[in-house]
Amino acid sequence: MAKTRSKGGATSTAPASSNPTNPSKSRYTLQPESSDPPRVFILPKKATPKARIVSLLNPRYAKPTRYLVCPESGIYEFTRIAAPKSTPHSWLIESSSGNLEGQKSVNGAEPDFVAYTTKGAELYIATPVDPLFLVLPALAQTTSKSEKRLFLSGYDHLESVSKELSPHLSEILHWGNVRTLFEARMAAICDTIEAGDESMFRLNEENLLKEVLSKAKRMSETPLPPSMEEKFVTKALEAPVLSVKRAGTAATAVVTEPAAAEPVSSTPMPESGESQASAASTETTNSLTPEPSTAATSVAGETIAPSEELAAAIQASPEVTKLQRLRTAFSFICSSYIAPPQTAQLKKLLSEKKDLVDFAPLDDYLAEVSKLRQEAVAARSTGDYSRKRVLDEEEMMARAEKKRKVEEEDKRKKAGQSRGVKNLKKVNTTGMKKMSDFFKKKL
Amino acid sequence: MLEARLEQAQLLKKVVDAIKDLVQDCNFDCNDSGIALQAMDNSHVALVSMMLKAESFNPFRCDRNIAIGLNLVSLTKVLRAAQNEDILTLKAEDAPDSLNLTFESSDKDRISEYDLKLMDIDQEHLGIPDTDYSATISMPSAEFKRICTDLMAMSESVTIEAGKDGIKFACNGDIGNGSITLRTVQDVENKENNIEIALTEPVSLTFSLKYLVNFCKAQNLSKTVKLHISNEVPLLVEYAMEGGSYLRFYLAPKIGDEE
Repeated sequence: MAKTRSKGGATSTAPASSNPTNPSKSRYTLQPESSDPPRVFILPKKATPKARIVSLLNPRYAKPTRYLVCPESGIYEFTRIAAPKSTPHSWLIESSSGNLEGQKSVNGAEPDFVAYTTKGAELYIATPVDPLFLVLPALAQTTSKSEKRLFLSGYDHLESVSKELSPHLSEILHWGNVRTLFEARMAAICDTIEAGDESMFRLNEENLLKEVLSKAKRMSETPLPPSMEEKFVTKALEAPVLSVKRAGTAATAVVTEPAAAEPVSSTPMPESGESQASAASTETTNSLTPEPSTAATSVAGETIAPSEELAAAIQASPEVTKLQRLRTAFSFICSSYIAPPQTAQLKKLLSEKKDLVDFAPLDDYLAEVSKLRQEAVAARSTGDYSRKRVLDEEEMMARAEKKRKVEEEDKRKKAGQSRGVKNLKKVNTTGMKKMSDFFKKKL
Repeated sequence: MLEARLEQAQLLKKVVDAIKDLVQDCNFDCNDSGIALQAMDNSHVALVSMMLKAESFNPFRCDRNIAIGLNLVSLTKVLRAAQNEDILTLKAEDAPDSLNLTFESSDKDRISEYDLKLMDIDQEHLGIPDTDYSATISMPSAEFKRICTDLMAMSESVTIEAGKDGIKFACNGDIGNGSITLRTVQDVENKENNIEIALTEPVSLTFSLKYLVNFCKAQNLSKTVKLHISNEVPLLVEYAMEGGSYLRFYLAPKIGDEE
């Protein structure tokens, strides 16, 4: 059973609750809008009741973001799913006191929460996040400060993050096995030495790269979420069909560098503009992957269906597709979880380490495609007469319409003009001053 | 609310006829002293100033200042439906969107009524100071018109030279030159034929004949016309009507290039 809760775990409701709403109030008086409206969360079953929502430093955007931390099962990030602004939705959240979480109903401090209608139908889904990314800013900070790259204990690393950026970090370190979890993940990307009974850590970029790459590989083994696949893989690899009809659409679909499309939102949570459909794809594919808002929005424009039977100039081999997928996944992980300076570092490292993964076949293929696209554009400008004519006809229509309007306007103006006035226009008035030069304007 | 009744429609007909070839649209500003109009031609080198005093109407009523913006061609079309001898009544509300014109035949067996849509005209008003002109010439309006049309055949501009001996209209055109000189005339029997020249100092200025010919369309309004000339100021051509009403034209002199 998926549990839903209002903010802060205050109230949880069973979705199928059938408790009738309180009818004693007038049907037509609306209560004032709550400043802290209930929100709907979907929390993992694994998370124990001890789990809390805390603010931790977001590794990508360097500002506090809410995470769900469970002392036993780990850390979860939230993905906000909301209807686009153009199609407003709302939730009717209903609760019955019998279903309240035991602990809360006992202490009785709970306000009488029966039913509530929210303004925006936002749904927060908690999905597991690798603590690795959360410790990354701490590691990066302590390593970049000193050139010498000291080995520090995990605790020292984590302490270096300022309280403002990560208000609850020091608190959660004392919970259950959270600290062990952090240190275990730290070990995966750090050089470690044992000092007494404590491990000391130092960030190793190569290990980090391997770790991120392995995540990316796992992500790219199955096809990416449909909208991502469409935009960053299919479109990017699509070669123009060298025929007049297809050239136009192919040339418009130039998406060269998928990594350029980083999420625009300031948090990893998608903007509310994202459609429900794309959010659904997030759930189905990879729980580690909140959809970047850009991925969902601009895909609908062109479809490739109508002329599938026409053969493209070159076809992407499965190997190339796989590499493109991997690169997209890698860029995506970097753009979601890793700070920009580190991302740049990792990308540089990735291009140097050919033994980890070699993108050469993909790069060759992409170069070929962009060449073909240029040719297609050039061919269209000379060869595509049919299209040009259509445009011209429309233009001519518009021009004729415009001309007619101007003429009409002129005609109307002339109708109000006597012959004498028209004749006076032809008079040579050189050497004659304006009347306003002689007579002052009256106020 | 404006209500102005003219015993003879021809006054308004003639005034509008005289102006309509100079300006296209203009405001008739009505207040308790009468109906005034000031407008410039498209090139802003000529100005027409009309005043129909309340005394010219019988009766005249205007409680508030009302600006009646009209296209003169449209007004001419409506006025064409009036006989010269018809009784004409103008009516407009305080914030009018149309002007009501009623024409009654003198024996009152026919009444025609028209509503004319008004327009919003943004016009600037110029303050015209009283000027002491160097020369003031009074002559029959028909004579002035004849001079202008005659010289128009020769050239497009005329030099008006006022001296002790008389007044000389001279022109110089492609086909040759010509001039007309008028001396003072004292016709005791027909005062309308008088030519009077009042001179403080001799002046000589050049004007566009096309404009002058245009002004002469007001000839029907008055038997006599007065020309006021001074250096460096516009020529004033004045047609005086009964009851202190007048139609005045101002024209900027041509300075510099003598052709």
